[in-house]
Amino acid sequence: MAVSTIYSTQALNSTHFLTSSPSSTSSSSKQVFFYRRQTNRRFNTIITCAAQQTVVIGLAADSGCGKSTFMRRLTSVFGGAAEPPKGGNPDSNTLISDMTTVICLDDYHSLDRTGRKEKGVTALDPRANDFDLMYEQVKALKSGIAVEKPIYNHVTGLLDAPELIQPPKILVIEGLHPMFDERVRDLLDFSIYLDISNEVKFAWKIQRDMAERGHSLESIKASIEARKPDFDAFIDPQKQYADAVIEVLPTQLIPDDNEGKVLRVRLIMKEGVKYFSPVYLFDEGSTISWIPCGRKLTCSYPGINFNYQPDSYFDNEVSVVEMDGQFDRLDELIYVESHLSNLSTKFYGEVTQQMLKHADFPGSNNGTGLFQTIVGLKIRDLYEQLIANKATAPSEAAKA
Amino acid sequence: MATITTSLNIATQPAVITSKSQPARLACPVRLNNPWNLGSRATNRMVNLRPVKATPEGVISDKVEKSIKDAEETCAGDPVSGECVAAWDEVEELSAAASHARDKKKAEGSDPLEEYCKDNPETDECRTYDN
Repeated sequence: MAVSTIYSTQALNSTHFLTSSPSSTSSSSKQVFFYRRQTNRRFNTIITCAAQQTVVIGLAADSGCGKSTFMRRLTSVFGGAAEPPKGGNPDSNTLISDMTTVICLDDYHSLDRTGRKEKGVTALDPRANDFDLMYEQVKALKSGIAVEKPIYNHVTGLLDAPELIQPPKILVIEGLHPMFDERVRDLLDFSIYLDISNEVKFAWKIQRDMAERGHSLESIKASIEARKPDFDAFIDPQKQYADAVIEVLPTQLIPDDNEGKVLRVRLIMKEGVKYFSPVYLFDEGSTISWIPCGRKLTCSYPGINFNYQPDSYFDNEVSVVEMDGQFDRLDELIYVESHLSNLSTKFYGEVTQQMLKHADFPGSNNGTGLFQTIVGLKIRDLYEQLIANKATAPSEAAKA
Repeated sequence: MATITTSLNIATQPAVITSKSQPARLACPVRLNNPWNLGSRATNRMVNLRPVKATPEGVISDKVEKSIKDAEETCAGDPVSGECVAAWDEVEELSAAASHARDKKKAEGSDPLEEYCKDNPETDECRTYDN
């Protein structure tokens, strides 16, 4: 990229405007330096305007597991609605809003549907994906260079003509393999994995597909079973690299519940991640079991259970916040929010407000919506910290 | 028929990148600047292709149904082969696409004015006044 060099001149009381000039060393931000020199006091004021720093977030999950819902919640936290690029391919998978651009990693399939059928590989298999291209383009976008990204058309199963993607402030890459390739993993500022247990996955896919003619219970089951080996081998191991894992399990409040309506959701947050402070309940680092329903709050069956504890997850230190049950009323939601700490909200009730804004999204009445919203706020906090850090670092270094 | 038209549209659509003022109009393959071909235009039935918003839902549902049948046939022979697994993966992919299309349709609400205004917010009918 470009780095600017500071030239000292002998002019008195003048302001010099220097632009960045290309040089052999590379830095990830373009900087503009104002250099002013005064004769009476020998000190230099340097103001830097760092060019846009792109924050890259990775989101991994199997298909049909709530990635789109998460994306919509996330873009809503930052404000604005995310839409496909106007005037482009209508089957584009990309979503663009003011601050965020969401790229679907299916666009980096190296084999289209017929190619995969011939070779007998699924989309989950790394052989069907071009990780080199993925790495190059994510690196370019992170450095502020626009890229021509291929489009994988989910309807036709073909790779369409590429579309131009401008580097956004926040880039979200969502798909099956954001953390699979080590180089791409290193580019991510924050990564999330949606871990849905098999029973819940089955229930959700039934809900999604039973309306579709041609599908039956057996075909849905067969589809899940057939994909399972590849999923376990290639997708599941990514959860050890994630900074936050949202694990969705069947509820423990209702014995033998197999409808998947009430869910037990665990938010597993890695400790020691830069700019990310885990959410906690009452006392950080202790083990808490909390049932908010009682004298102050009345809940309907089956109620709400909360747990918080430090734990170990794939040899990493983590904090786990767990919610089992459903929200029925607004005051339950605000009551719970007021007792959680480190939510990174900008005002009291922000989590509740975000949940209500999207009350029609799936999971708005249980832990999935709650934790997705909280992770969205955490990402916003991370972004703001990163930007503030990048802005102050050069000026601090220059004050010598 | 509908499927062929759709796939033709996708193949010929140019990658319009930045100019928002121009909606992407499909360059119908026949309507290129070839005046010597004027005579053949009358015989070509695909002249009046309308720009397609996105693939209609019925198309995807048909594909889902077809892919399930294919998968069941492929797997009847050998349930653990790569082809069988790939076939069921295709079913999953198409089901996901179908469900996204359904959600998009529901979200849009199919109000013709809303749809028009999404693409042309500057026209008189679509102007909003926020103070």
